[in-house]
Amino acid sequence: MKKSLIIVFSMVFVLLVFSQTVSAIPAFARKYGFNCNMCHVAFPKLNDFGQRFRDNGYQIPGQAGLEKTVFETAVPIALRTTAGYSIYGNGEGTASGFHLYGLDLLAAGVLHKNISFLFVYTPGLDEPAGNYKGKIPSQLASLESANVVFSNLIQDKLNLRVGRFEPGFQRLSSKRLFYILQPFEINKFAGTRNSFEFFANQIGIEATGRFNPGFKYALGYINGSGANPDRNRFNDLYLVLSKTFGRGEGQSAGQRIGVFGYLGRQPTDFTGSIISPVGDSNGSQDRTFTRLGGDISLNWRTFNLQATAFRGLDDKAFNDIDSARDYVFYGGVVQLDWAALADNRLVASLMYNWVHPSDEDRVHRIEAYSALLRYYLGSWSAVNVALHAEFTHRTVGSGSLAKENLFTFLLDFGF
Amino acid sequence: MGRRRWLMVMSVFPLLAGLAAAQTPGKEKVPPMTHVNVQVLGPQRIGPLPPVDSPPGSPTSSLKIHLGKELYFDPRLSADNTVSCASCHNPALGWSDSGPTSSGIHGQLGGRRSPPVSNAAYNPLQFWDGRASSLEEQAKGPIQNPIEMGNTHKAMIKTVADIRGYAMEFKAVYGEGPITVQQVADAIAAFERTVVTTDSLFDRFVRGDRQALTALERKGLEIFNGKGHCTACHWGPNFSDGRFHNLGVPAKDPKNPDVGRYAITKNPRDMGAFKTPTVRDAALRPPYLHDGSERSLESLIDFYNRGGGKDPNLDPLMVPLGLSQHEKKALVAFIKALNSLNPEVADVKPIAPDHLHK
Repeated sequence: MKKSLIIVFSMVFVLLVFSQTVSAIPAFARKYGFNCNMCHVAFPKLNDFGQRFRDNGYQIPGQAGLEKTVFETAVPIALRTTAGYSIYGNGEGTASGFHLYGLDLLAAGVLHKNISFLFVYTPGLDEPAGNYKGKIPSQLASLESANVVFSNLIQDKLNLRVGRFEPGFQRLSSKRLFYILQPFEINKFAGTRNSFEFFANQIGIEATGRFNPGFKYALGYINGSGANPDRNRFNDLYLVLSKTFGRGEGQSAGQRIGVFGYLGRQPTDFTGSIISPVGDSNGSQDRTFTRLGGDISLNWRTFNLQATAFRGLDDKAFNDIDSARDYVFYGGVVQLDWAALADNRLVASLMYNWVHPSDEDRVHRIEAYSALLRYYLGSWSAVNVALHAEFTHRTVGSGSLAKENLFTFLLDFGF
Repeated sequence: MGRRRWLMVMSVFPLLAGLAAAQTPGKEKVPPMTHVNVQVLGPQRIGPLPPVDSPPGSPTSSLKIHLGKELYFDPRLSADNTVSCASCHNPALGWSDSGPTSSGIHGQLGGRRSPPVSNAAYNPLQFWDGRASSLEEQAKGPIQNPIEMGNTHKAMIKTVADIRGYAMEFKAVYGEGPITVQQVADAIAAFERTVVTTDSLFDRFVRGDRQALTALERKGLEIFNGKGHCTACHWGPNFSDGRFHNLGVPAKDPKNPDVGRYAITKNPRDMGAFKTPTVRDAALRPPYLHDGSERSLESLIDFYNRGGGKDPNLDPLMVPLGLSQHEKKALVAFIKALNSLNPEVADVKPIAPDHLHK
């Protein structure tokens, strides 16, 4: 253990010493010459400018057509990786070790005025993904995002995103928040026979837009099967509405409140179903499920309190525990972030996750309390490195609780 | 999937691409904000200024620059011999004036602040509203503006031509023939192209002198290019995108607001938008904004930190910044590090050719 800590601190020391001479550049920062904090409160969390930049199809707000396309800039490729040391403990013992928690390869840019793209690929690794909870200790290869954005079709009132993307109801994007090992617990929660994952990237088409003052919408039509081919003839539908009071987008200024609704259908029987050459099937006995909830983001100085909560209702066909009743659960996340020091070099955060299924499924009740500290070694347009310490105390079930603790110290590296 | 459905799907993408790419406003005689300066696709990195090129067909010379400098400082170009270019674009005041707005002949006050002449050569369009596309075109304007120099081009030419020294110099520069307004403007513009600030602490820093900036100034640079969002508009070597933005500056006369760029383009998106000025030497020329409504760098940064003013056409780049006192102090320090150290720019008034007056 002592030896491990020496290695970690040696790595940090080397980075601190040589950090001023690093010269590589993440994709957008390389294009514009901006520092990370132009778009991020502190990477990867977007600030208001960054949110508008994303909403505008990765074009500077109000400047569509007045910037270079990918054909006029350096190759728009970036990567992000996290490596560090974890200590895990539960009632039965403690385990620890070094890990590379994941690797993302990103490419994004403007193809033509108001036409842009985003591509995120995670290669397969013999190491756990950042939010690893499964049985296979490896990051599976995945094309996380691959989409084209058609912006400003009717001014800023209509933009279309086509392909695999992060749906607009994910206002608290787990991909752009600070926590690396602690996922949103409601992320993968659903009825025992429902494979739907609320926070997974989805394949389909999404319309977004804004209306002054501060009103935004997102309307999506997607497979609802995450990265998998569609498994029924019906697509899922969602609608998100939000309103920001005051200046900003509610990311780092202004106060935002929103509601969302998701209507999905999943087949419960694949007997005799056909499978298309691209993997789609036409399972039968489709049953519906819904997610209805809201989110809020409050800002005061450099404090940001975000919360999202929803009610999940899955048809009784998804309920293995009591097949006579629909499966109902409630869940959510509350997160308080504080950006401190000049140029937001230090970030502190507290997060509470909960999932409360109905009484008959208390065994799946989850509570998780997390805290983190991140310190950024610099604010460059070339590269960014953050020292990241994260702790989570998690309980599962009720009555006889399964308790676990996870502490991680890592380097979050954007290049 | 039926044939009709396939056709629908296949036709959607070209349609979307066409719609997205074809977001062009309707018929306008003057290009709107989004169509100017397309030759400089940005944002571009901040850094040292490149050399200034002469316009095609108008080669510069030391004699032309000298003539332009004499004209620039000569109040006889105005109707009552009291106002020169330098009266409002004073080298000692950062090539602007003490504001808040400029005063012309008979003490008349204009509605806007004097834009700086320093580094104006890098602006794709001149004036706060961009109504002049060159320094030459700009130079002609104030002479016959009733509030500024209050003259006519014809009377100004007669005045200049009657001064033997000018007559000789114009002949040497432009050859035989009567002096023209175009020649006067050409000479003044040639001089203005020499008013560039290529040396500042920032320039020395980016050229490799890592000690040129203090720790506070370096922090200010970091914030300028990041959390402060300054380079969203103040980008490139001249710290200006040359474009037009509505910052929500409160109108001094709400019943008769200054419409800015809209007066030229008639594009509603340009309502209340004004050209981004350079930040180089900005610390030398308070007050700030197009109407001089912010008295100091500190109050200007507070204005931006609030996300600008209120306006239905507020630029989407304007968002609250959340800067702390220390970060604001660092920004001010960095902006001061953009002050020119060029000895040739710290200019002195030339001796006008009065001794040759008829």
